[in-house]
This record gives sequence, structure tokens and C-alpha cells, in this order.
Amino acid sequence: MTSLGLAWRTTKRYRVRAVLAVIGVAIIGALLFDMLLLSRGLLDSFADLLSSSGFDIRIVGSEGVPIVRFPIDGSTRLAADLRALPEVRDVVLIRVERATAQVNGRTPRDVTLVGTTQTGGGPWTIVKGTNLPSASSSSDRCPMLIARRLAAALGVVPGSVVDLSVRPAGIASALPAIACRAVGVVNFAFAATDEDSVATTMIALQDALGLAAEAPRAKAGQLQAADADLVLVASRPAVGSAAAVRAIERLRPDLRVYSNEDVIAQFNQNGFAYFRQISLVLSSLTMTFAFLLVATLLTVSVNQRLGEIAALRALGIRRARIASMLLWESALLVGGGGLLALPLGGLLALALDHILRQMPGLPERLHFFVFNWRAVTTHLVVFGMTAAAAAAYPVWLTARLPIAETLRREVVG
Amino acid sequence: MSAVVEARRVTRLFPMAAGPVAALRDVSLRVNAGEYVAISGPSGCGKSTLLHLVGCVDQPTSGEILFEDRDVAVLPESERSRIRLMRIGFVFQRFFLLPMLTARENIELPQAEAGGAAADRRARTRELLEYVGLADRADHLPSQLSGGEMQRVAIARALANRPALLVADEPTGELDEQTGEQVADVFDRVHADGTAILVVTHNPALAARASRRVTMRSGSLVS
Repeated sequence: MTSLGLAWRTTKRYRVRAVLAVIGVAIIGALLFDMLLLSRGLLDSFADLLSSSGFDIRIVGSEGVPIVRFPIDGSTRLAADLRALPEVRDVVLIRVERATAQVNGRTPRDVTLVGTTQTGGGPWTIVKGTNLPSASSSSDRCPMLIARRLAAALGVVPGSVVDLSVRPAGIASALPAIACRAVGVVNFAFAATDEDSVATTMIALQDALGLAAEAPRAKAGQLQAADADLVLVASRPAVGSAAAVRAIERLRPDLRVYSNEDVIAQFNQNGFAYFRQISLVLSSLTMTFAFLLVATLLTVSVNQRLGEIAALRALGIRRARIASMLLWESALLVGGGGLLALPLGGLLALALDHILRQMPGLPERLHFFVFNWRAVTTHLVVFGMTAAAAAAYPVWLTARLPIAETLRREVVG
Repeated sequence: MSAVVEARRVTRLFPMAAGPVAALRDVSLRVNAGEYVAISGPSGCGKSTLLHLVGCVDQPTSGEILFEDRDVAVLPESERSRIRLMRIGFVFQRFFLLPMLTARENIELPQAEAGGAAADRRARTRELLEYVGLADRADHLPSQLSGGEMQRVAIARALANRPALLVADEPTGELDEQTGEQVADVFDRVHADGTAILVVTHNPALAARASRRVTMRSGSLVS
């Protein structure tokens, strides 16, 4: 019989002990797995969120950062220059303003108004209706996408008219409302769960900002529209974002250009460092508990079987064979618990993610716990190491077991 | 006749807080091939200590243990383990069968350790179970066997690799008189088949069956 076979039989014989150990390890393992998912989850989710827009480069004014932004002077000309670069496939201008939305005399709602040159798709998913029409094809003065929650609150469906009044930040203004027609109800990827958002074209935003007279010419591309505060750029796949970033920096050294990787790296170094540290500390603690649990069980089990082990040694069974049997016993307990920990940890992660995502101000699509194979691999490697470490003391105990003295003690005992 | 094992002027001291205690003092014993030797004496006189030295599971403080003319003291543990596996069979007072293995699997274990082929192991195990009269108990766990049956399985296990020497420490110590007789009968058969036996026992009936009886007292051989 192989060492694994002996270990399996021993595990089966001490069934209750084995089941308790596996459950204990599974619970600890579930926590570890969740820590591993958490340690990368927010970062992966953030990266997914950035890439979901279909653009891999962000440009902001020199005073801004990707999150807090100021308008970029001459952004329409900038867009044209960028499109002329061989490294660039697509360019979209974005501007975000605060606004008030009102429907049929209902109580006005404060909203985030996003103006974009991106049509036919964007960082949102259509729930009802259609996408923003392209500037040339639309006869609408102000076509609008509205967040599902806000649409439900205002009773808006595709075709409804919503009055939008822009309230530029830091300026006391009383801009007149413009009538926008909802073309689609959507889920915005970047919108917080508690945030009411609408999106429209840059032309319509310009109109809402009181530049109506210039709108027709801007629509025809003859006039600079309201300045964007963010420019999204998609690099050509054959070139890659790094080369495109260098080309844009050469073109406009006065701007800040970030690839998605840069943004994620900054996020990883700054905001996310705390998550990683907490996760590392909690992971280490959980593994220490797993190690102590299994080491204690194996040590107690070995101490109960010292006579049996001494007899095996007296019969000529090698130390290596007994050590291997104990390692397998440890592997079965830790392995069983470790594997059970994966679905258990997955369920726990879903519940914890749901709780954490209730925090205000988070984009709806952002998750704290994101499944990734690296976490599974790390989980299995760490458990393998824990099994080996937990078996180390019992193995050492049996390796240095004085056979004669143990046999004598067993008989006297 | 050649010696299977020979203890030459062995002394075994055990370190204690109050100073070393001598379990054996200057003891010499020779067990020849095919010989049946019984050691008796009062508790604590050093019988088991001598058996452990002869069985290569312990080392003397001074003196020599020669197993088949090889000085055991100079051998590495791996080699002593090999001698125990292939040339010595151990029978214990408390049987020490592995509780999670059947009788058959317990007997196969030393053979598997010796690298025997599966078919050979099965055949040898069947032969040994018949030898000790337990062919019908092959698939029983130790917990399903009586004390006498467990001890007979333990003897079969000790004989699995055809040892030159069978050492037994109080093999009837946990058995009633009648069951002890059955075990003693098995020892007689083993001896008749040419295997040397060294048995430590308090049981006069078992000792009487040996071809040579040795008495110990206070760590020394007295007869």
C-alpha cells in the first residue's frame, strides 16, 4: 500500500477528526481566498472599468488628474491633431458638468451631465431605446441618454422630454433650460450607485452652456465646441498605448497623458496600497490559523499513535515512508479544506462584495472581489506550503522517535 | 552452528535525573540459526532492553551487537532498518497492528516496503494466513479480531519477509491461557520450520517450549 493509501485509510479511520479539520481549514481557506480576491479585485475591476470604454489613453489638462479635471483649451483642434497621428485610431471628447433635470413640473433633480462626441456606443449599456445619434444624422437638438434609476424616478422613457439646466462649477449663472429628448435608458459604467447621470452630445452640451448661436457651425466642424475636460484616445492595436502616449506627449507636451496602465499603476501605488497591506496581514493571519489547526491535529494524532509508529519502525518501515504518510495526511486535510474553501470563499465574496458596494460614490460596475486564476493558483500554492509546514513538526517527531524507549513506554503505559 | 545474532558484553545505561541507571550490565548472549531461546525474569530486570538491542532498535552503551556477523553499531540507521525489515521479525505484547488495515493488508505492508511484487505479496500473505490459521479472517480489521487472532496476524506480519530471527516481547502478555497456548503453538511451528526465535516472557508454559531458557536478574544473565 502506498503512503497516500495509508494516509487515506488513517483519515477515514479518524473520520470525525478529519471532517472537523477539513471544515476548519475550509472556513479559514475561504477567508484566505477572499483576501486574495480582495487584494487584486478592486484593481482588476478598475482596469476592467477603464478598458470597457474602448479607449486606452486619457488626456487631461496640466492642472488636472484623471479624476479631478479642468477644461483643455482648444480641445476640438486637439482632437483633429490627434486623429492625424498614425498611432491613434479614435478620439473622443468628454466634458462633465453639474445640471438640473426636470420633467413636467416634477421636483427638479441634480444630475451629472456628460457631454461626449462618442456616439453609437460608449461606457454604458442600453437598457431601453437607442444610443446617441451621430452629429450628422441627428435632427434632435439635444438627444439624451438617461441613467435607469433616474429615468424610473422621473418617469422617463425613450421619447420623453427632459429640461436640462447646466450649472457650471464656480460660476453664478442662470442658464436657460434646454429641452432634451431621451433616446435611451442606460446603465453608466462610471456612474456611482447613488449618482443620477445623463449623457448628451458635445454639441448639445455647448447649447446648454449658452453657446447656441455657434452650435450649427460647431456641428459642421467649423467652430471649436465647448472645451472638453477629458480626451479619450484609442491607440492602434499594432502600435500599442505606450507608443501612442509618447506621440501625444510630443504633440502636446503641455498636457498630461496617461495610458490605462499608468492610471492603474498610480491607483495601485497610492489608493490601493492600503488594501494590499490589509489583505497581506489578514492572509498571513488566516494561514497561521490554518497552519496551527492542522499542525495541532497532526501532532495530537501522531502522539496518539506513537506506539504504532515505533512498531512500524521496528518492523523496518523507513522513516521516509512514515514521513511521507504524514505529509499525505496533512495534504488530505489541508487539500480537502483548501478545495472546499474555493466555492465557500466564492459565495462569501459575493456577499461581502454586495455589502461593500453599498458604499456611496462607487461606480456601479466597480467590484471589490473579482475572480481571477492567479488568486486560485496562489491559494493552492499557499495551502500546499501550509500542508508541508503543518506536517513538519509531526514528521520531525517521528523521525527522531526512539523506537525502543517508545515501545517500552507503550507497554508500561 | 552459525550465530544469527550475538550480544558481546553489552551494557545499556539510561540517563536519569538522579544519575544513569544500568538496565543491562556486561551481558553476552548468542542466538544460533534455528535456535529457540526464551528469556525470563522479574519485571525491570532488562529482558526487553536486551531484546531491543538484539532486535537492532536500540544501541548498547558499551559492548557489541553482531547481527549475522555484522557490527550493528557501525551501520547507518537506514541499514539497520533494512536488517529489521528483511532479517528480523518483531512480535509485540500489544500487537501494534495498523487499525485501519485488514489482516491481509497488515501482513502485506512489510512485503510492500521490501519491494515485493504484488502477486508475490498476495501469494505469501495467503500462505501466512493459512499458516496461522486465519485464512478466513483475511479481510477483517484488527477491531474485528480477538486478541489471539490479532497476535497470530502479528506473527504472520513478522514472518512476511522470511526473517532469520523472530523476536517477541511478551507475546502472550495480553492473552488468556488458552489463547496463549495457540500462540505458543504457532511459535513451535515457526521454530520447526527453521527460524530462530528469541522470546521474552513471563509465561512459564511458553518459556518451557524453548530449546534454551535464559534467566535474567538486575540487568545480568543468571542462568
